Amino acid sequence: MNRKLINWSLGIGTPLLLVATWWAASQNSTNTFFPPLGTILERFQALWLFDHFGSDVMLSLRNLVLGYALATVIGVALGFVTALVPVVRWALDPLIHFFRGIPPVALVPIFISLIGFGIEMRLVSITLAALFPTLIATVDGIRSVDPSLKDVSAVYRLTRSEKLAQVYLPAAGPQIAAGMQVSLQVAFIVMIASEMLGSSQGIGAMTLLAQQSFMTSDMWAGILLLGVIGFGANMFFEVAKNKVLAWYVGSRRLSKS
Amino acid sequence: MNRNLRKLLVTAGGIAAALALWQFMATGPMAGGPLPPVSATLAELAGLLADGAFWTSLADTLVIALAGLAAAAVAGVVLGVLIGSFEPFRYATLAVLEFLKPIPPIVILPLVVLIFGPTTQMSWFLVFFGCVLPIIVQTVAGVHDADPVTLDTARSYGLGRTEILARITLPSAMPFIGTAMRVAAPAALVITVVAGLLGGGPGLGSSIYQAQAGGNYPTLYAHVVVLGLLGLAFQGVSRLSERRLLHWHASYREVLPA
Repeated sequence: MNRKLINWSLGIGTPLLLVATWWAASQNSTNTFFPPLGTILERFQALWLFDHFGSDVMLSLRNLVLGYALATVIGVALGFVTALVPVVRWALDPLIHFFRGIPPVALVPIFISLIGFGIEMRLVSITLAALFPTLIATVDGIRSVDPSLKDVSAVYRLTRSEKLAQVYLPAAGPQIAAGMQVSLQVAFIVMIASEMLGSSQGIGAMTLLAQQSFMTSDMWAGILLLGVIGFGANMFFEVAKNKVLAWYVGSRRLSKS
Repeated sequence: MNRNLRKLLVTAGGIAAALALWQFMATGPMAGGPLPPVSATLAELAGLLADGAFWTSLADTLVIALAGLAAAAVAGVVLGVLIGSFEPFRYATLAVLEFLKPIPPIVILPLVVLIFGPTTQMSWFLVFFGCVLPIIVQTVAGVHDADPVTLDTARSYGLGRTEILARITLPSAMPFIGTAMRVAAPAALVITVVAGLLGGGPGLGSSIYQAQAGGNYPTLYAHVVVLGLLGLAFQGVSRLSERRLLHWHASYREVLPA
């Protein structure tokens, strides 16, 4: 009991202590690279909460959400077709695997040259880069569906749509979710990269611009905001995943104990 | 047999169709634009292979990615074993690790570029930062996965701390570390490219940036093709070595068909 209390206070105390140390150590800092934390937070409030919320923060988040949503829908749909229709699988397999090897950020310059620097380029970059993890996970998930499940659904004469929605989708669900989580990371990275490469709007562009003009506090404020978004998006996904896949999480826990 | 032949034909047809579509778009509707024809890209690719500068930047990329990965592996496993072995350490770092883990290294890229400038160290540090956290987290999980009965047995036979660590804890954490390394190796390559593309560090990333900025589209596409092949090689090698090195572990043993 006592030990638990100590562990808990360690868990909550250490991060607080770290932030306090950062605050205290940087309070009178004149180092250009590490401005006082207080100044960073002031700039954070001034930049992100008021001035640029509508023009930059919302823009970045909208691109992220829209691009990611498109990527998952297309990825799952294309994954189903690829996994279930042999001819499509044979034809697309080498292409999918080739695109999987390309670092997603390396595609951004190509989209810039094809579409320009606009919002469409950022949206297309995010969508296409985030597509592949979900697509590949969906194909793998459906390919590894237990054959006896297929037999049973054949015996019960389930229609095609029943089979897809009630057998394949739940059976491949955990793998699809894992792929979607990787996709979310990729979408976030490409969101930042597409803004850093020659755009003037968005959180990534603002942060890089601040760095290039030596406005260090503004740069730190951007890094903080991006960090919070990255963490928040992942946490949101975890919560949603545990809700949707509650049956799977529960069965895993049972089989472990 | 017949089915295999048909599969081969369809696969070849798929690749041919994709290339044909690319060539058609580049010479037809989008001729003279930013999309180079397949032929020009392949010619550029052949030109690159004869170019010393290309091999230098390829070598830079590989050295940065592998050095960063190796440093991250050593630091990650050492820290992971420490954190995993001592309960207070684990609780103290839990929140910090969980907060930092989903944050990709590109977020701190501006800061790292500000401190190091567009140098090899900058790219190297970014790779290290991006790979070390997942390795720590996985190692901690692996250390905790050690079978308590085995640990108790070892203790009652009077094995020392280091012996338990070397003979029980580390071997049972190996598959976790292996998984982390398999994921980290392709990531190291990606981060090196990002550091070159956005931070100006040496390697293929900055070659891509220069090709795009200078409008050398065949060069741009040839580099992306090279990166695609390199990425596949990284994924393949890391998966193969994981299986080779960990073949003794229960989760990798293959069941022979009866």
